[in-house]
Amino acid sequence: MVARRDFIKLAAVATAASPFILSNSARAAQKKLRIAKWAHFVPEFDVWFASVARAWGEQHHVKVSVDVIPVEAVAAVAAAETRAGKGHDVFIFPWPPAQFYQHAIDHGAVYQLVAAKYGAVQQLAHRSTFNLRTGKYSAFADFWMPTPLQFRHDAWAKVGMGLGPLTSTGLRTGARQLREKFGLPLGFAFTPTLEGNVTLHTLLYSHRAWLLDGNGAVLFNKNVFAVQALKYIESLYRESGSPEQLSWGSAGNVQAMLAGKASATSNAINLVRAAETKDPQLAGGIWLQPPLLGTNGMGVTALPHVTNCSVVWNFGRNQDVATQFLADLVDSSRAGYEKSLGCNFPIYPKTVPDLIVRLSKDPHADPALKYTALKDALHWTPNLGVPGFATPAYMEIFNSFLIPRMVQSVLKGERSPEDAAASAAAEMQTIATKWQQV
Amino acid sequence: MKNSTVHAWLYGVALALAGLPLAMISAPAVAQALIVNTGNFNPPPCDYSDQFYQDNGVDPTQVIGRFGTSRLTGPPARSASQVNWVADPTCATNDPDRRNFRILATTGGFTDNGTNAPNAFISILGFLNNEAAFETTYTRLAGTHDITIANSNNPRGISMESIVSNFEAYAMVKQRLPNGQFATNPCATDAASPLAPPTPCFDVSTVNTVYTPNLRQDWRFAQNRNAMDGSDNNCISNNPTICGPNAPTVLSDSPFGYFCDDLLGMWIVTYVWLTQDPANATPACQAVYQQLEAENGFSLDGGPIIITPNDTDNTLEGSGCGAEGQLTTGDGGAIWLICPAIPDPRNGAIAADAFLDQVFLPNGQPQNPTMTANFVALQTTGQFPGDGDGSVP
Repeated sequence: MVARRDFIKLAAVATAASPFILSNSARAAQKKLRIAKWAHFVPEFDVWFASVARAWGEQHHVKVSVDVIPVEAVAAVAAAETRAGKGHDVFIFPWPPAQFYQHAIDHGAVYQLVAAKYGAVQQLAHRSTFNLRTGKYSAFADFWMPTPLQFRHDAWAKVGMGLGPLTSTGLRTGARQLREKFGLPLGFAFTPTLEGNVTLHTLLYSHRAWLLDGNGAVLFNKNVFAVQALKYIESLYRESGSPEQLSWGSAGNVQAMLAGKASATSNAINLVRAAETKDPQLAGGIWLQPPLLGTNGMGVTALPHVTNCSVVWNFGRNQDVATQFLADLVDSSRAGYEKSLGCNFPIYPKTVPDLIVRLSKDPHADPALKYTALKDALHWTPNLGVPGFATPAYMEIFNSFLIPRMVQSVLKGERSPEDAAASAAAEMQTIATKWQQV
Repeated sequence: MKNSTVHAWLYGVALALAGLPLAMISAPAVAQALIVNTGNFNPPPCDYSDQFYQDNGVDPTQVIGRFGTSRLTGPPARSASQVNWVADPTCATNDPDRRNFRILATTGGFTDNGTNAPNAFISILGFLNNEAAFETTYTRLAGTHDITIANSNNPRGISMESIVSNFEAYAMVKQRLPNGQFATNPCATDAASPLAPPTPCFDVSTVNTVYTPNLRQDWRFAQNRNAMDGSDNNCISNNPTICGPNAPTVLSDSPFGYFCDDLLGMWIVTYVWLTQDPANATPACQAVYQQLEAENGFSLDGGPIIITPNDTDNTLEGSGCGAEGQLTTGDGGAIWLICPAIPDPRNGAIAADAFLDQVFLPNGQPQNPTMTANFVALQTTGQFPGDGDGSVP
């Protein structure tokens, strides 16, 4: 349970300045909009978001408040609100909140409002928020974050891979040599955190170790890919990892990279943005690459670090206001891209039509074309839940950290890859069955 | 259109080929393409110029076994009198990005465009086995603007190495060792599958190990991987007929097209192997191998031929009866190929003195007669047999 004091109160009351503007009747009729959002990796973004929300509230005579929730507390707070049947009017998740579809309005109306200005919903958003069973959108997605490989160019150049690893074999070979020769371990997150979740779900997916199929049936461990992937991860850890990888908290991989204690990691670009602010020299040495080439025919692919999904609870009292707010928020996508330091890729390309140019001319990029590695990110980023949609079952697997727990049991020597995969598959089956019966 | 006429034609070609060794036209030291059919508007393949290699991020001095410089004879040529390339002054005239060495060795393979037909024809110009072959810096004034490679990125802001990672060529190296043992992994520790013993292993320590005589079956090329087969499970178009929930799942509009982005026609080599000896496999893998053998025939190792992505990814690898992997810098073997696919092999692209580089059976017959028939028809008529697309009839 997250205590209220843990929330960062950013923008409380929009009416502090507005009573002089509003009439008495308007004040009496003034609606409220309480927003909960996950704490962005770039804190300045949340400050900006609060100001935008406040300004929107002033324009629409709505009293807006924003509560920022640490990422690791988001699921628990959302669950508490749905159990209680009360809470915020808008709840913004960093992942698809499919588990909560029974408590969400149909966000198709939001997509329709936005479509008039910015076009149809993109596949990444559609597959992240559409519920195939109900035929409704359980959330509204407006931005996402790609997950490129980020590596220490200087270090990888010493093992003949100045462009970093491009394949799983290259990652294993280079990372091992870097630890052996220079004591520099790999910085992939293997913990029950957002970073660990995305990293490990990506490693499994890119080994074709899919969790669920498009109909929600469990695929995991129905072939050899799961054990194969687990053995690969075990090799990575044994040959090039560090004990800290198993105990990092949120953003532990980012901190390790910023401290120069890791050779490479998989993360949103807030990592290198933080380096640009704190240590430009270090930032210049951290290069980006698209994700690794997967095995078993999977191509170059990585799951999104963030899929920003907003939910209007169906028990909320201000659904019309919340819906309008979400639709209008898309107008600010361009500013959001900038305030997030380029982390937030828009779901609606028309809002940042010059994205490719911006990536190639990023004023902070060192080397100059660093961010062009992201220009095709939408092509190599499928939705969480792939090859299916982000279903309630998949997202429960995600949010229960089943995958990091499974991997850790192998890395700690508690289970063999075979046993761990079997156990995880059984747990997935329980989850899938439960949701099929809902 | 697949009709009995086409079948009969192919059968006839196959029979003819079965009875005779492939005609070897002795190439002179300097030659011009001998094009025998009309409407020959597709020039035959030539090596790239040094400048074109450099413009596209590859140091030509690092290309191993570069046609026009080395490998005049020997594999893929099958006889001492056959050369793999000839000097040809028309190359640079037809295409200023080429140098005047025309490639006769035409390697056949299975395409990944959904038909799985043996109708992909490429020219293996050379090999790379080290990341150092990719330029990190380069500048050339081209007309009014510079072509530059900076921090390994080309003028479009992408590294060639990154582009090439999207295009896989699947090599199936022989696993049956001279002593009769069946090697269930490559001799490259980091690429080896954890599902099979690391030894005995098959050699991948030099680029020679992917020369055709060392292959158990013909290549497969994913030149259309990101454009058509949807294997990245990604689709970003806002057009619902392309990417909507009810759109055909095979459609995809992903990054990098082989013919428009990968200008050197490069591939990353993905080695595919069986993790058990087909002659001594578990019942489960025996069933898998037998299924594929029934569909595709036998490789030179006695196991199945693998043709489609489904064969590889699901049937074989999904059952643990096969595996795949890439090599890395230091392994010594071929990591990347420079072997551009012929965009349109019709209408003159297969010259009369070209020869087909494909896998042959011990009795001298081609392992895939349809591939042979396609090649011969293209060479002699400029068209696929029966005006088709070279698919298996």
